[in-house]
Amino acid sequence: MDADAVAESVTGGPPVGVSIVDDHPVVVDGVRAWLATEPRLRVLATGDDPDEVLRAAPEVDVVLLDLRLHGRMVLDKLAELCAAGRRVVVYSEHTDPATMLAALDAGAVAFLAKHEGREHCVATVLAAASDRPYVPPALAGAMVGDPRPDRPALSDKEREALLLWFQSMSKASVARRMRISEHTVKQYVDRARIKYTRAGRPAKTKAALLARAIEDGLVRPEDIGIYRSHAAADRPTP
Amino acid sequence: MSTELGTAPVPAEPPARRAPAGPTRPGQAGPAAYPRLPTSEPAGTDELAAYPRFADPEPAGVGDPAAVARASDRGARVAAVAIALAWHLAVGLPGVLTAWSALPAAPLVGGAWLLVAVTGGLAGYRLLRGTPLPATPLAGLLLAVDAAVFVAVGDRHLFTAANWVWSGLAWFLLLTVWGRPATRLLVLLAAHSGIALATLAGRGVTEPADLARFAMYVYGTSSLPVAVFVGSAAIAWLARDRARTAAAVGAVAAERAAAERAQQARQARLALVDAAAGTVLGDLAAGRADPGDPEVQRRCALAAARLRRLIAESDDVPDPLLHELRAAADLAERAGVAIDLVSVGVPPPLPVRLRRRLAEPLAAELAGARDWARLTVVAGPDEVTVGVVTPDRGGPAGTGPPVGTDDDGVEHAHERDGVIRWTQTRWRRA
Repeated sequence: MDADAVAESVTGGPPVGVSIVDDHPVVVDGVRAWLATEPRLRVLATGDDPDEVLRAAPEVDVVLLDLRLHGRMVLDKLAELCAAGRRVVVYSEHTDPATMLAALDAGAVAFLAKHEGREHCVATVLAAASDRPYVPPALAGAMVGDPRPDRPALSDKEREALLLWFQSMSKASVARRMRISEHTVKQYVDRARIKYTRAGRPAKTKAALLARAIEDGLVRPEDIGIYRSHAAADRPTP
Repeated sequence: MSTELGTAPVPAEPPARRAPAGPTRPGQAGPAAYPRLPTSEPAGTDELAAYPRFADPEPAGVGDPAAVARASDRGARVAAVAIALAWHLAVGLPGVLTAWSALPAAPLVGGAWLLVAVTGGLAGYRLLRGTPLPATPLAGLLLAVDAAVFVAVGDRHLFTAANWVWSGLAWFLLLTVWGRPATRLLVLLAAHSGIALATLAGRGVTEPADLARFAMYVYGTSSLPVAVFVGSAAIAWLARDRARTAAAVGAVAAERAAAERAQQARQARLALVDAAAGTVLGDLAAGRADPGDPEVQRRCALAAARLRRLIAESDDVPDPLLHELRAAADLAERAGVAIDLVSVGVPPPLPVRLRRRLAEPLAAELAGARDWARLTVVAGPDEVTVGVVTPDRGGPAGTGPPVGTDDDGVEHAHERDGVIRWTQTRWRRA
C-alpha cells in the first residue's frame, strides 16, 4: 500500500487537518466518512465555498476541492489557492485527461477521480500533507497519454510504469511485469509526477513538492531544468 | 485497489464500475483454445478506400459536362474577340483614315471608332475572363454609335470603308450577346440594318441599285457573325452532350466496381464469421457438442464476442477501435461483468487488419471474464496500447493466443498471477 510509506513520516505528529469543498452535501458526507476511517486525518471544515471554508479553519493542511462548484469549473480559484501555498487535492468526476493536466498545471498537489475510492483518497491526502506526490491510476493515464507538445520528457521506464499502473491499478503487478521492486515502481511514477511540476504557472505548492522530492532523493535538482532556481527561491524554511 | 493485490484475495468490488454487476453467467471459465481469425482477406471499408476508382469514381474533367462545354466555348470566344478587334483595326481604321479629309464630320467618325475600340476591347477582355459586361447598356451604346456614324459619314461615304460601322460593328454586337439565345443577336443585327435602312431612306438614297447594295451589305455583314455564333453554340452543346454521356458511362462502371467490391467484402466477412462461429455452431447442430458443457458454453461466448466485434468492425464511426472494444465490452457487460472502460488519447486511423490484431485478444479475454474487467486504451499518433485486467478465474496456465510481436508490429502480452489476468496488445508505428 502506497500510503504506508507516507504514513511513517506522518505518524507521531498531530493529525492532518483537512477541509472538504464540495457543493453536494452527500459527497461531503461520503468523503468525510472515508477520511474518518484514517486516524491520522481530521476533517476540520466543510462547505461549498473555498473562501468560507478556509476562513472557518485557516489552519488546515490539505484542501479537498471539487473542481466543479455550482456548475462552474473553478480552475482559477484552484490556481489562486495554490499560489497562496494551499495544498489542494482536486477530486472530480471530470476525468478527461486535459482537465486533470490543467489542474496539475494550476498547482494542484494531486488529482483524484471521484470513482477511485477510499484508499486512493486517503493515500492522496496523506501524501499531500507531507508535500509528496501521489498518482492515482486515472492521473497516470492522463500523464502517459499527454499529447501536448511541451509535455515533460518522461523516460521509457517512467512511461511504462505509468502505463502499467494505469492499466492494472496494482503496483505489485507492475513490479512483477517490469521485473523491479514495488518501491522502484513507485519511484518511477512519482518521478514522472515531479517532472510535471514544471508545467503551467508557478505555485508555492509546486516548489514545496519539488523541494521535498529533492530532499527525498527522488530527483536531483539538475533533473528539473528550469525549475531549479525557482525551487531554491521558494523553498520553505524547514 | 492497493498494491497488495499480489498477495491479497480477489477484491469483492472492483475499484471503479461503469454499471452494477448483474447475474454472472455460469461456466465461462476454462482453458481457451484460440484459433486465429484469417486476416488477409479484404474486408471492411479500409480496403475499399485503397482503390482509387472506388474512392473517386470519376477522373476530374470528365465528370462535369458544364466544364467541358466551358472549355470548348473558350476557343470560340477567343476567335470572336480576335476577329472583332482585328477587323476594327485592319479594315475600319484604314477606311476612316483614307477618307478623313473628305468626311463632313471626321472627328466624330474617328472619335466613335476610338470609343468602340476601347469599349469593344474591354468587352472582349471581360468576356474572355468569364465576366461579360452587361449586355443591354453595351448594345445600346453600340447602336447609338452606329446611328451617329451613319449620320456623320455623309451621303458619299455611306457604302465605303469610311462608314466602318456597317461592316465592323456586327462583330462587337456578337460579343455583347455571346452565350445568350441567338434571337438576341438577330434582334441586334436587325436594329443595325434598320439604322442603315433608315439612314438611306432619310437621305433619299432609295434607287433600286442602292437597295440591292443595301441587301448585299446586310447579308455580307450579318451572315458571318451569325454563322460563328450558331456554330460555336452547336459545338459547345455537342461537347456537353458527349461529356454527359461519358460521365454516365463512368458512373455505371464505378457502380459496378463498387458492387463487386461490396460483394467481395461480404464474402470475406462471411469467411470470417465462419471461422469465428461456424465450428461451434456446426458441432451444436450435429449434436457433437453438449450445450450444458461449460467448455461448449465458453466456446459460444467466444464466438459471440467475435461476431459482435466483426459487426462493429464495419460500422462507419469516428473512432473504430474504441467502437469495436465497446462492442466487446457491451457483450461482456450483458453477461454480468462490470466493465470499467477508460480511454486516453485519440487513436490514429488504423487499417482493419491492425485493429483486429489489437482488439481480438482482448475481446476473447473479455468473453471469458467474470465479475469485473478493466479495459484501458492509451493512444497517441505513433502508439496504441490496449489492456484488459480481469480477476484470475483459475484454470490451467498457458491459455490465450501466442504471445509476442507479429509482422504488423502488434505486440501481444498475457500474464496471470493468481489474482489478476492481464492481457495487453500494443501497436507501435514502425
